Amino acid sequence: MLTDLLYRLRSLFRRQKVEAEVDEELRFHYEHQIEKLVATGLTREEASRQARLLVGGTEQLKEECRDERGVQLFENFLRDLRYSLRMLRKSPGFTIVAVLTLALGIGANTAIFSVIDSVLLSPLPYPDPECLVTVKQNDSLRNIDDIRQQTKTLAHGGGVTIERMDYTGGPEPLQIRAAYVNAGLLETLGVAPMLGRLISPEEDVKGGPYNMVITHRFWREFLGADPNVLGRSLTLNGHRYSVIGVMPANFALPEDETNIFVSLWVAYPEAAPFRGVHFMQTYWRLNPGVTFEQAQADISGIAGRLAKQYPDTEGKRQKTLVPLHQFLVGDIRPALLVLFGAVGLVFLIACANFAGLLTARAIARRQEFVLRASLGAGRLRLVTQAVTESVVLSLLGGALGLALARWGTSLLASLEPAALDRFRGIQMDARLFAFIFTISLLTGIVFGLIPALGATSGNAADLLKESGRGNTAGKFSHAFRNVLVAAEFALALILLVSAGLMIKGFARLQSVNPGFNPSDLMTMHLQLPITRYDKIPQQTAFRRELLTRLNGLPGVQAAMVTDLPFGGNFLDHRFAVDGRPPVPVGNEPTVQTLSVMGDYFDVMQIPILAGRGLTDMDRENQPLVAVVSEELVRRFFPNENPLGARVDFARTNEPHQWMTIVGVARDVKHGTLNEPPEATLYAPFAQSDESWRRWMSLVVRQRGLAQSSGLIPEVKQQVWAIDNQIPVSEIRSMDDWMSVSLARQRFNMLLLGLFAGLAMLLAAVGIYGTMAYRVSQRTNEIGIHIALGAQRADVLKLVLCDGAKLAFAGIVVGIAGAAAVTRVMASLLFDVTPTDPATFILTTLLLATVALAACYIPARRAMRVDPMVALRYE
Amino acid sequence: MPPRIELPQGTLDLLILRCIANEPQHGWAISERLQQISNDVLRVQQGSLYPALHRLERRGWIAAKWGASENNRRAKFYSLTRKGQKQLEAERAAWEALTTAVAQVLRTA
Repeated sequence: MLTDLLYRLRSLFRRQKVEAEVDEELRFHYEHQIEKLVATGLTREEASRQARLLVGGTEQLKEECRDERGVQLFENFLRDLRYSLRMLRKSPGFTIVAVLTLALGIGANTAIFSVIDSVLLSPLPYPDPECLVTVKQNDSLRNIDDIRQQTKTLAHGGGVTIERMDYTGGPEPLQIRAAYVNAGLLETLGVAPMLGRLISPEEDVKGGPYNMVITHRFWREFLGADPNVLGRSLTLNGHRYSVIGVMPANFALPEDETNIFVSLWVAYPEAAPFRGVHFMQTYWRLNPGVTFEQAQADISGIAGRLAKQYPDTEGKRQKTLVPLHQFLVGDIRPALLVLFGAVGLVFLIACANFAGLLTARAIARRQEFVLRASLGAGRLRLVTQAVTESVVLSLLGGALGLALARWGTSLLASLEPAALDRFRGIQMDARLFAFIFTISLLTGIVFGLIPALGATSGNAADLLKESGRGNTAGKFSHAFRNVLVAAEFALALILLVSAGLMIKGFARLQSVNPGFNPSDLMTMHLQLPITRYDKIPQQTAFRRELLTRLNGLPGVQAAMVTDLPFGGNFLDHRFAVDGRPPVPVGNEPTVQTLSVMGDYFDVMQIPILAGRGLTDMDRENQPLVAVVSEELVRRFFPNENPLGARVDFARTNEPHQWMTIVGVARDVKHGTLNEPPEATLYAPFAQSDESWRRWMSLVVRQRGLAQSSGLIPEVKQQVWAIDNQIPVSEIRSMDDWMSVSLARQRFNMLLLGLFAGLAMLLAAVGIYGTMAYRVSQRTNEIGIHIALGAQRADVLKLVLCDGAKLAFAGIVVGIAGAAAVTRVMASLLFDVTPTDPATFILTTLLLATVALAACYIPARRAMRVDPMVALRYE
Repeated sequence: MPPRIELPQGTLDLLILRCIANEPQHGWAISERLQQISNDVLRVQQGSLYPALHRLERRGWIAAKWGASENNRRAKFYSLTRKGQKQLEAERAAWEALTTAVAQVLRTA
């Protein structure tokens, strides 16, 4: 096999040398022949004449030698290639449509494939990623330590919580994101620092040294990539932290973004010792050879023991292990798979279109095939030629598709970075090229072969006898095209229905009332440094002073709240109502608790449904009061008047300090729009006893906010006029927060809509091509109709009906298909059933209209047929 | 002159392989040799011989090498490869089995 190939290649590429050798060899033979004849007594002239006769046609002989050398295969290929390129250049319209069709299909597929590849399939950037697991429930440092001591299946483990730290000493105070970790975390992930070392267990204790490990990005952006950074220190939260290590460039925590890593014990000693502070995401590495199930059994056993030992804080807590990869891709997976399905359908439609175009072309070129067949071309040669042409087209389509995919993925990445965190743009690697090359090649071969076989069926004599129309091969091709067009419509309808459902769901989601008025609201995050604000009175003084200053600005209304709606933060407290039988410890219900100052309800425009809102008079040394949400009333006071009732947090070992409910506020969506509202309790900042809640979000309403740019510097100036060490961060409008919370749904909707549009366009091109072709084939027949007195309108109807039949068949199949398929999207839809009749009807009408419009153009052409011209056409 | 017989399909390859089995030969020598040994019964036209040589070379059964001919001219010599050796043995056995069987049938039937 190898010698064979080498031989053929040598013959091909050293062609001249090989030809010269054959020449020489034959001359040698010829001369010997002459010598031999001369020896028998002939004259030299006579001998050379006879020798020439014996030798025969030299050129033909050389050609036969060439055949035997196997060069033919390549030479035919080159000839086919040249011929294809010439033919394609001669019909640029066909070429452009065919290449674009495939490029769209292949490009969309490649873009989505590369996203799926990097987000769903590629392993995590840690060594032995399959051994990494996480626990669904957050945990406390004390529990992590106990698990580490008791486990028999987990090698390493650690936890992380992301907090903001104030970085002062730069031009203006800034907040950076800090990962509070224990000494096991980075070891568990298994990535070594690029410079220096990690935090050691000896340092990870109360009163340990203020050390930090920094990310590569922080090192580059804040510390100028200083190679001697080790030992440098920065002021964070009022303490000098020294850099002891720098992580490598590609390292990131599995879920959260951070700038630095510090020891929880050192940075946050107030929270570290408490078993009940479950605020760390934990990561664990399985011992070699341990199965996931064994680890789950092990950790469940530990959770059970902890629950018995500490019923107060651990009584109801479970620990559910999840493989890290699954944990990270779990929520984006369904969307990506639906999108992949969608591009798959687009690709099928593109292929059907491509096949349709080739079929039409093959039928149109039947005369040419007939001629070539009658001149002696074998069927194999004809088919090879046709397939070469389609492969040239499909490879061109693939190349253009690659360019489209590149552009498309950068578009994807820019659309929604949050859901595609780990998508780092398209990787132009060998695998991707192989993917594109393979699908292009297969498309070219498969969809080139079918029409070519159809068009060349029958022997040359039959082909000659037929005039190229009304024959069996032609009928096969027509039927094939009809099926293709109907299939395109079926697939396009499935996509349109899916996109329609997404759009409807998104519209429903967007129209959900968040419970407040988000327009003209600017928000900012502030955190008070513990060094000067560790007590409530100092905090209250700052807050009150700031609000007084801000509310003094013209046209500005300001208030503050601990956690913003859609801001991503929650704080739940266990909850008790005065006069109700006590609930066993650990089983108390929880409610979301927010502290507010200023006229929060008024600024947010949250309607007060009963009683009153909170005012500046609800301050320290006054009766404790609270406003509750409708949902809290529904849950705890279903048939009672909540006003005047007394409630409190159910804290262990603390006497109750009852708050009196003075008002009921409209429900506010705090997490996302598609979740039900939570029971919420609002209490005044000034009456809070939780000095650790030193953070707050400012909400500032100003009419015509979008036009004014002066507000933000003004607010910063007011903050720093009181204390120039306080960073102002996360400056965002409320509209912005909400659109971020909808980003994923918008992303899904946009892509699916795009694909559906693409599908519809391709299907329209498909039916247009078929009908236009058919009209041109039937010009003669139509001419006769008109000559015999048919009205133009009849002709129009004739053609439209013809097209409508195809579209209708496709649409009927599509409706059934969509009903079967959209079920898989249920989890992506909000408040829309997958078989929403309105969506089905509207999309069907849309597609039918598009189909008729696409048929109308050729139908008009048919209507204008001049019978005289048509009859002379043949 | 004895009658000439057209070679049955496929036998030319076998004969060529046999001719060069002992020593490398050039094309002219092969055709002369076939003619001599068969007492002029088998005559190979160069129209068949050279394509056959190229085919055998492509299959890797024979190898070609330029060398000096008996009268000191440059000529292309063909020799049997190991693969060709095996092929020759196989074809020879097949051929003998065939002729024996055919002869048997002709004698007895």
